[in-house]
Amino acid sequence: MAPISIPGRREAIEDQRAAGGGLAAVFPVHNPRALLRSFGLLPVEVWGPPSARGDRAAAHLQAYTCSLVRCGLSFVLAGGLDRADCIVVPHACDSLQGLGSLLLDFVKPSPPVLPYYLPRGERDVDRAYLTAEIESLAERLARIAGRELDRAELHARLDREEQADRAAAALIDDRRRLGLSNRRLYELLRSREYLPAERFCALADSALEARGEMEAAGVPVLLSGLVPEPASVLDALDAAGACVVADDMACAGRRIYRACAFDDPLERQAARLLSGPPDSTRDCSMGARVAHLCELAERSGARGVIFFDVKFCEPELFYLPRLQAGLREAGLACLACEVDLADALPDQILTRLEAFVEMLS
Amino acid sequence: MNAAGIGVDAGSTVVKACAVTAAGSRIWQHVELTEPRLEEQARRIAALAREQAGAAPLVATGYGRKLVAGAERAITEITCHARGVFAELGSGGTVVDIGGQDSKVISVGADGSVRNFAMNDKCAAGTGRFLEVTAARLRLAVEEIGAMALAAAEEVPISSTCAVFAESEIVSLIARGAALEAIVRGLHRSLVARLASLVRSLGIVEPVALSGGVARNPAIAAFLAEALGCEVKLPEAPQLMGAYGAALLALD
Repeated sequence: MAPISIPGRREAIEDQRAAGGGLAAVFPVHNPRALLRSFGLLPVEVWGPPSARGDRAAAHLQAYTCSLVRCGLSFVLAGGLDRADCIVVPHACDSLQGLGSLLLDFVKPSPPVLPYYLPRGERDVDRAYLTAEIESLAERLARIAGRELDRAELHARLDREEQADRAAAALIDDRRRLGLSNRRLYELLRSREYLPAERFCALADSALEARGEMEAAGVPVLLSGLVPEPASVLDALDAAGACVVADDMACAGRRIYRACAFDDPLERQAARLLSGPPDSTRDCSMGARVAHLCELAERSGARGVIFFDVKFCEPELFYLPRLQAGLREAGLACLACEVDLADALPDQILTRLEAFVEMLS
Repeated sequence: MNAAGIGVDAGSTVVKACAVTAAGSRIWQHVELTEPRLEEQARRIAALAREQAGAAPLVATGYGRKLVAGAERAITEITCHARGVFAELGSGGTVVDIGGQDSKVISVGADGSVRNFAMNDKCAAGTGRFLEVTAARLRLAVEEIGAMALAAAEEVPISSTCAVFAESEIVSLIARGAALEAIVRGLHRSLVARLASLVRSLGIVEPVALSGGVARNPAIAAFLAEALGCEVKLPEAPQLMGAYGAALLALD
């Protein structure tokens, strides 16, 4: 089986620039990728990045702000996003909202900063509110791109994002037969953070075409939480003999949205962002999250759930105790690990992961 | 000696080794302080075990488990302590392992398997290191502080669970003329409070047993029993439970 070649962020950015396109730096979690693409902007997500020195941001942030925001702000301060045409900051949590305010009021980076608010429910009124937010965002993007919103183009981009969602879901569903390590699986899934949907779909198709008949061995686990960084955690899972067979990460599975049919593409974009699986940044009910994780575990055969979260991530950590209690009540073993994105994986986390896999074996 | 299994527990403070017969009886043991060149030390101890107890499959555990050359398997100390204490006490329940670098609470099923576990975060609070650091500040030997804590007539509350903050709190208490014995008792209580909350996070399933080197400190078992409101059992050689469990797993 020929190994899949996954382009990196830099390559994707250079290709976009070479094709005359623009770049939108976007912070997690839920972003209107199709809308940005319809204005010729490639959304490139900023999950930290873990390599950024977090201390640059220390003057602006409290010590208890999560490392995702700390590293992200440090990256902006270091000029890491200067080449972007805009910086999109969704209100996923108080820290990200604070980041948006800091960028607008104090840091004032050269690219325009575009914050937007996400309602927490999935009612008609939430969709109406978000449609208005998306419309306002579209007006600001039109000024940056120097062109008006093309509604037909937005529908076409939404179609492609839905296709990419189906591809991501197929990769996770057939994960056992892909012949990929845990790290490689997430490199593939997370390439969607910076690749155009059509390139991601082509990669996913290659991976699915290359799948074998034999199912990979390994203790099946479900990975939940924010983002698998430092990525060495995935190597640690490989070494411990675990196979991630189901995903509920904010950077991956929680952004596999339902297909939405609306005549107005702005409303369709809004409905899409509210249609993901139950998630900590949208105030979904505890019952819905427990039921979703149980369903994922049952469908995939996962024997346990590993929550891999960033320290001080309030949306995630508010759920965690009761979420774990609910899953244990349903007979699923759980492990919670907290890390700082900028730190190496501590030995104590490695021991926990190994012991958890030993326990499930 | 004809060992059927050997366990080497390369801990952060002490390296322990143990050999067992096919029936699981301990027939050889060895304990020494961890050296900076742990890989060389582990190799020497594994050779010593095979020379003195006989050639047998070897399982490594402890934070240096991956550095033990010649080990058939490396298994975490959580699984090994559970197995060791289960074999020693003959029942499931809750194992509290207080190591030099970290502490674990392990829920052990009726068949000796690990059902759940909790571990302290990257911090010396609730570990042997907390007692080492604070005893050093008081210029006391770590071996004598347990008896001193139990004999103390008074107790000074130590509010810090962090070893660094506790050390500075001790300086303030000394400056205020607090009795040494009362401070030592307060330190033990502080460490046990941290452990008890870790146990409660998992749920208390009796019997509760202590393992790890710090379990040899008599005040820890006494105060933990008080905090949990139940008896706390001690294996005969708590420090050896990880190596013993590893040796038993080498038989599988």
